[in-house]
Amino acid sequence: MEKLSEWWKKLTWTFAPSSKVEATKAVTKNFILHWFPARVTYRSMSWSYSWWLGTVSFSLFLILTITGIILMFLYIPSVERAYWTIKDLQHAVSFGWFLRNMHRWAAHLMVFFVTLHMVRVFFTGAFKNGGNPDANRPVNWAVGMFLLVFTLLLSYTGYLLPWDQLALWAITIGANIAKSVPVMGSYLHFLLAGGTRIDQNTLIRFYALHVIVLPALLLVLVSYHMWRVRKDGGLAVSEQYKMQAKKEGKRLVPDDYTTFAIPALIRRAFLVFLISLGAVMLLSIISNAPLEEPADPSWTPNPAKAPWYFLWLQELLAITTIRTPWFTINGGFVGGVVIPGILFLWGLIVPFIDKSPNEATGVWFHPSRRLQNWTFGIIMLILAFLTIFAMYFRGPSWNIYWPWAWPPIPHLF
Amino acid sequence: MTRRKFLAYLGRFAVLFAMVGQALAMLRSIVPNVVYEPPKKFKIGYPDDFSEGITFLSKHRLFVIREGNTFWTISAVCTHLGCTVNLVTFPKPKKVKVGKKEFTEQWEFHCPCHGSKFYGEGTPFAGPAPRPLPYYPLDIAPDGQLIVDTSREVKSDFRFVLNV
Ligand code: HEM
Ligand code: FES
Repeated sequence: MEKLSEWWKKLTWTFAPSSKVEATKAVTKNFILHWFPARVTYRSMSWSYSWWLGTVSFSLFLILTITGIILMFLYIPSVERAYWTIKDLQHAVSFGWFLRNMHRWAAHLMVFFVTLHMVRVFFTGAFKNGGNPDANRPVNWAVGMFLLVFTLLLSYTGYLLPWDQLALWAITIGANIAKSVPVMGSYLHFLLAGGTRIDQNTLIRFYALHVIVLPALLLVLVSYHMWRVRKDGGLAVSEQYKMQAKKEGKRLVPDDYTTFAIPALIRRAFLVFLISLGAVMLLSIISNAPLEEPADPSWTPNPAKAPWYFLWLQELLAITTIRTPWFTINGGFVGGVVIPGILFLWGLIVPFIDKSPNEATGVWFHPSRRLQNWTFGIIMLILAFLTIFAMYFRGPSWNIYWPWAWPPIPHLF
Repeated sequence: MTRRKFLAYLGRFAVLFAMVGQALAMLRSIVPNVVYEPPKKFKIGYPDDFSEGITFLSKHRLFVIREGNTFWTISAVCTHLGCTVNLVTFPKPKKVKVGKKEFTEQWEFHCPCHGSKFYGEGTPFAGPAPRPLPYYPLDIAPDGQLIVDTSREVKSDFRFVLNV
């Protein structure tokens, strides 16, 4: 027993340090905990400042990785068999339904929480350095923009894998958005689809992207992202301590505003993980992941709706075709490439053009950032409005209806 | 630039060039040279298999229209982003005007994905579709079956008349 705890201590040091020296070593001597700083500012751990949304996102990513690896043992990426391996998960594999539900609901939640995390960061002005010469939070925000895109791409490639009607039509539309790009569109489509039609080649491509390429990229970026938070001296709100001290002409003593990451930070992070896991498990017990009919190119469900996080995009695709007497530009290109591209580029550079004063760093709705917050808020509201409109007011044939007045769906072939 | 520096740059460039070249070569392999897809020119059955009016060939996502001995085909693939359009038939023929031409139609095509709507002859009149539904050439094969070539489009006045 003595020997065992000795070994354990060597591998992990300790989660319950008895002195300051031990607490510091608990991080520095441990490989995994290298992500964490030895000391953490109190306000970095405040629930009402960050809501811990980044940690929630990472917890969901962990859940997705673990459930995803098990799913890889059970899923076959073949157009003939993929759908039936999913059916087996739901009806023949012990706890297969639970595994699949966990994976699907965690994916939805991850999109939701990564977005919320971004909104939190923007409204707290947390991409600002606040006069700290060692910090580089604007870069971390830009990294975050890529994380958001990878999260969306992971969800997209993931819901294609069951090869049901939702999958087939989502992949068809996605590949044709690529095709609508001027000049190189056909080539992009050919590359994505692995041929001129959506078939086995397409499925295996999206499978490879989903199970290794995108998760690997996301993991590398997320590791950098969280390491960056540490190198930036904790969350942006920590800069407030320094500004405060400067104003009062006091010297900051670490013990006044920081504590040891072990146990304070690690306990809270584990608690957030447990809550996230609990929420995913609960959702998975009370509700089944959707599965439509097997993929059938001869008919499209009516209406064919994307999952909620792509509905704004679907609505944009439907309303942005530009017609002039001389030429027509497909809404697939305008709404599917140009507008999202502009939003993404704006997102990348926004911390570099935000010239608000240092005091606005890490503060919710700082008055000096009214213009920035309104701009961002209105963009998010427009996206939310498009989403709700597409969700409740678009019926069969994408016609506009009141949600309670959907007509009987017209005869399908 | 000194000779030493030049050689150092040259060395770095060579390493970079070799690595980028390798990476590109590997990436090139995911662009298919050969695809195993069904032919774009295929038989769709004997003329008498088709009844008067419009028939949907679900396997080929194609509409075949017959008026007596005249046949033509319209694609069922929406020109917006590729969903299969729905055939909506009217109990009573409807008069519509396309450009300057006026004609009566008995059906329309409605797309379920983003609401594009096409007149019976393929011209879009609502929604995002940028182009009319394409027509494909129709011919008769030596064995007497109709044969469609979806690898090329024809004008919308294309008609195949069967000689009897
Ligand atoms: C896979 C997705 C992501 C994960 C796992 C993640 C993880 C984290 C974590 C754990 C933190 C620590 C603070 C907190 O929990 O709120 C953090 C902070 C931060 N994140 Fe993310 N993040 C993700 C996506 C994003 C996105 C989409 C953005 C913005 C575009 C972003 C920008 C930032 C910034 C600027 C900080 C520093 C905030 C501060 O100093 O207060 N992250 N992230
Ligand atoms: S695919 Fe037909 S309207 Fe978009």
